Amino acid sequence: MLSTDASGETATHCPYCAFQCGMRLSGPREAAVVAGDADFPVNKGALCIKGWTAAGALAHPDRLLKPLVRNAAGELVPATWDEALGRVAEALQKTRTNFGADAVGVFGGGSLTNEKAYLLGKFARVALGTANIDYNGRFCMSSAAAAGIRALGIDRGLPFPLEDIASAEVVLLSGANVAETMPPIMQYFEAQRANGGVLIVSDPRRTATASLADLHLRLTPGTDAVLANGLLHLLIRDDLIDHDYIRDRTEGFERVRQVAATYWPERVERITGIPEAELLQAARLLGRASAAMILTGRGTEQQAQGVTNVLSFINLALALGKVGRPNSGYGCLTGQGNGQGGREHGQKADQLPGYRLIADPAARLHISAVWDFPETELPGPGKSAYELLDSLGPDGGIRFLLVLGSNVVVSAPHGNNIRQRLESLDFLVVSDFFLSETAQLADVVLPSAQWAEEEGTMTNLEGRVIRRHRAFAPPDGVLTDLELMERLALRLGRERWFTYSNTQAVFDELRAASAGGAADYSGITYEKIDASQGVFWPCPSLDHPGTPRLFAESFPTSSGKARFHPVTHRPSAEEPDEEFPLYLTTGRVLAQYQSGTQTRRITELEEMAPDPLAEINPATAERHGVSDGDMLTLETRRGAMKVRARLSPGIRPDTVFAPFHWPNEQSANLLTNPALDPTSRMPEFKVCAVKIVRE
Amino acid sequence: MSKKERLVVIGNGMAGARFVEELVTRGGADLYDIVMFGQEPHGNYNRILLSSVLAGCHKAEDTLINDLSWYEERGIKLYSGVKAGWIDRMGQSVYASGGISEPYDKLVIATGSTPFLPPIDNMYDEDGFMREGVFSFRTLEDCLAMIGHAASARRVVVIGGGLLGLEAARGLLERGLEIHIAHLGDYLMNSQLDAQAGAMLKQTLENMGLNVHLDKLAESITPPFADAPVGGLKFKDGEELECEMIVIAAGVRPNIDLARQAGLHVQHGIVIQDDLSCRNDRNIYAIGECAQHRGKLFGLVAPLWEQARILAEQLSGENPEASFRGVKVSTKLKVLGVDLAVMGDKDPQTDDDEQVHYSEPGRGVYKRLIVRNGRLAGAILLGDGLTSPPVLQAFDRGELLPDNRASLLFPGTDGAARIDVAELPDTAQVCNCNGVTKGRLIRVCQEGNATLEAACAATRAGTGCGACKPQVKAIVDFEANRVASQAATAISVIGGKKVEFPTVASEGMPRTSQAVGTGSS
Repeated sequence: MLSTDASGETATHCPYCAFQCGMRLSGPREAAVVAGDADFPVNKGALCIKGWTAAGALAHPDRLLKPLVRNAAGELVPATWDEALGRVAEALQKTRTNFGADAVGVFGGGSLTNEKAYLLGKFARVALGTANIDYNGRFCMSSAAAAGIRALGIDRGLPFPLEDIASAEVVLLSGANVAETMPPIMQYFEAQRANGGVLIVSDPRRTATASLADLHLRLTPGTDAVLANGLLHLLIRDDLIDHDYIRDRTEGFERVRQVAATYWPERVERITGIPEAELLQAARLLGRASAAMILTGRGTEQQAQGVTNVLSFINLALALGKVGRPNSGYGCLTGQGNGQGGREHGQKADQLPGYRLIADPAARLHISAVWDFPETELPGPGKSAYELLDSLGPDGGIRFLLVLGSNVVVSAPHGNNIRQRLESLDFLVVSDFFLSETAQLADVVLPSAQWAEEEGTMTNLEGRVIRRHRAFAPPDGVLTDLELMERLALRLGRERWFTYSNTQAVFDELRAASAGGAADYSGITYEKIDASQGVFWPCPSLDHPGTPRLFAESFPTSSGKARFHPVTHRPSAEEPDEEFPLYLTTGRVLAQYQSGTQTRRITELEEMAPDPLAEINPATAERHGVSDGDMLTLETRRGAMKVRARLSPGIRPDTVFAPFHWPNEQSANLLTNPALDPTSRMPEFKVCAVKIVRE
Repeated sequence: MSKKERLVVIGNGMAGARFVEELVTRGGADLYDIVMFGQEPHGNYNRILLSSVLAGCHKAEDTLINDLSWYEERGIKLYSGVKAGWIDRMGQSVYASGGISEPYDKLVIATGSTPFLPPIDNMYDEDGFMREGVFSFRTLEDCLAMIGHAASARRVVVIGGGLLGLEAARGLLERGLEIHIAHLGDYLMNSQLDAQAGAMLKQTLENMGLNVHLDKLAESITPPFADAPVGGLKFKDGEELECEMIVIAAGVRPNIDLARQAGLHVQHGIVIQDDLSCRNDRNIYAIGECAQHRGKLFGLVAPLWEQARILAEQLSGENPEASFRGVKVSTKLKVLGVDLAVMGDKDPQTDDDEQVHYSEPGRGVYKRLIVRNGRLAGAILLGDGLTSPPVLQAFDRGELLPDNRASLLFPGTDGAARIDVAELPDTAQVCNCNGVTKGRLIRVCQEGNATLEAACAATRAGTGCGACKPQVKAIVDFEANRVASQAATAISVIGGKKVEFPTVASEGMPRTSQAVGTGSS
């Protein structure tokens, strides 16, 4: 079934970030033409260069078109599906017999559609019987998710549509470089500015986004909560908090107020490096605005204190009385294409569909009924992403791993360890459409369909459920991941639970499974999505229009009130010292996406960003005898990265920035610290100690 | 479970309460039965904020860090408003009036300090109490009493031109009083500043309306005029200032009497070792302003909290080896309208110490660095609040400074200067989202796409984040102007003939893109 309209175009969405730009595809796969979809209300026709060039991956010569299996000589060679799946099923059976079901691990991704993420969770629990499934979204969204649930009772990245940004008087963007990571969002900030609004950005670098801001707070890496507490201190001091709101709609403020008393401006300045005058300016802008918004990104969240960092910003939004008010509130800017939906339907170690907890007896009974599968056989919570990867091999106990849509060798922290762990597996299966760095280590590689070749739904950063339409059938010999799971289930004798007439049938089961959960999709249908350019969850019944805005009346907590959480900051897990004297922070560049498996293969993107560049302040560079363009080695306690220097006066002199989209010796994740947040298990991608070594 | 040890903490101020909080967050309540003595009759508040309360910027209740319920909820027994009377080291107990006795396994002394009151005649009334209208500035009660009295006073003399005196003076100025600062030294803040900085600070404060008197030794409080309890303050040099209120901020003395009576080793403060225990009793620790470490007393909050954290790490078992090695001391003057940060050594120590000076008296800007072995050993930064964070952080961390020291004192503009499109080379990238150069934009203009919309459509510039649109517009306009002026020149030369402009072969991108690659499917 192809979804081409009368014009010969297919309306679908970009394969990359959580903004999920509407795009129209036409022409044959080999010469597919991309156009921005002016009718889609999110991007309104705008695309960034990743979107414009997205079709380049569809018929790329590197595309995997046949399964690969490792032969006796240790080489990956083409094979039939029958042979490849036979090898996989055999290895699975062997692992389960010898080491038990939990010796099988499954690793998913935030780029998978809702249907795939849902089915993968079910596949792990029902077909494989393992507790050990998690996904790369753990590395993206888990801190904001945990904080949102604790404070507001629910985790929907933005609890309001993007259009509200345009009417916010003041927006504070904490640790988000959206001008590069989701450029088309900038039209909303432009509109905000045209309406007289003010943008504040906190970031250790003067990023493309920070340079558009009215006020740039250039904070020391890892001090986000100090900044938030310091702003709260000033708001309390100057009586710019909303006492009525705090009394009527929240609980727990008293303790937070007392903790804020210990974050006076001189102390906050000394820790964050932000001048007192700028702190005061930011506090007054936020405190005097009738509509103010606080948005966090990975900078604030990807830390070993990511959850409390986010809680400190939610405290701020609550004290200002802005959560649930028009054009105001707290939101997190989801990163991956389906980073939102991917974290709702059972792909996480501790979750079942509908944002239910797998440890919750009622949730287990509900899902057991929907799946017609005994509750007693449903596994319990498994290991989180990094812990799962760190448990691979004989010592850790996970001997078999199935990876879908993730390139962990490049994207997980402490890359040397991850590579060794993967190499110590008995069996590794990777489903991807290119031979990613992770796939290169696999025993069996399964070629999968791409975005334009499949049906399904995605949930964008606003919580808007949208449809991905198929423009082309997958190339011969290529399966969708849904088909892969169906076939594998058949080999495992579990076909009873994995037989669907089409993708919509999977979605219909997802709807039933999510019914009554926090992320309730039960009232969302494909037809409804098509008719209204997406439906915002929760949508609990067919006649429900969806919920663009949350919290207007109450919060989905037991008391109906939002909860303050006292936050005391800690130093980062690894602070600079004599040997490693600088902070390293990692992140993204505009022309590449995630591990670069796709974008590094697109000529236009490669020309724009062929290699990683380490941003270094000129004063720091001078001290190290480094000039612009010099080759350097960045070294941490965990590894070394080869990179060229780019002198940038906008970055703090105590900080080096490196993007993580490249593999092997150019991989920034060889450097990063796998210290985990105690709640979200988010690794500390954004802060560690580094030294510069000249070549 | 083994029986809990008994931990007694004398002092519920910045050091004592902080220590207990650090201990409790490390699971200390499961290890110890915690008992605290706090001389002040409430929970723990942030003393740092009192000058802000005095100025009317901060409400007193917003200085509270731990209210009484905080102690209760954590099972901590707090004697609030009770002064510990004596320590029986043999019997390992602390006694207080009212028959209180609390045995301990571990004892932490955090008794802080008391204002130093210089000998001034008539300071006390007949009953031996400090005369009405005369205040020291230490506690929340002091602060509230000062605020109460200030309402009826007109002129105040603050004795002491150090950190606390200046903060008190500035606070009272906010309350509309006429303020005189009487300082013993020959320039303000002479423990932290050099003479030049002191002189500039004096000027800055005088510009705000404060009156500064130097080399003043207070001798006596003069008797009431009319019916006010205080009439004025007379100095040794014979000069006299009329006033209705006197604030004494002449430094502090550590509270060491309890420790001395208990036979602990005491010099200026209670002598402690790197593990913060007392020299002659390993079950007793001292932290905060009352403690003397390697000959040094600490009066600022950062080292106190550092001690509190280290002792908590030790006693919670998180890091039994945790030890205090001293800290680098820096401070900022908390006076509205004055940016002053001081840190480290006040003067160079050797001939090799490098001094970097910048002085601009007209704006009240003074910056001085003392650099030792390439690192910051001391600094004074007056009148430039934007410079202090990086300098403070470089000092705290002992960072190697940039060879060009000026880059630390004048951080500059971050390269955010405005760009003139005429000066941009053709290779300069204008639209970062879509990798469009100035040269490409000029070419498409020449191909007939000479409006913003057309140029954007032809190149995709501005179709991502849109931030480059002003620059694209400037380039389109620049090209249009160039064409127009060329045309004008051409017309004037050729006279009415149609002028053709060379066009560049099209390399422009179509609005939509072709997929690359030649897949075999």
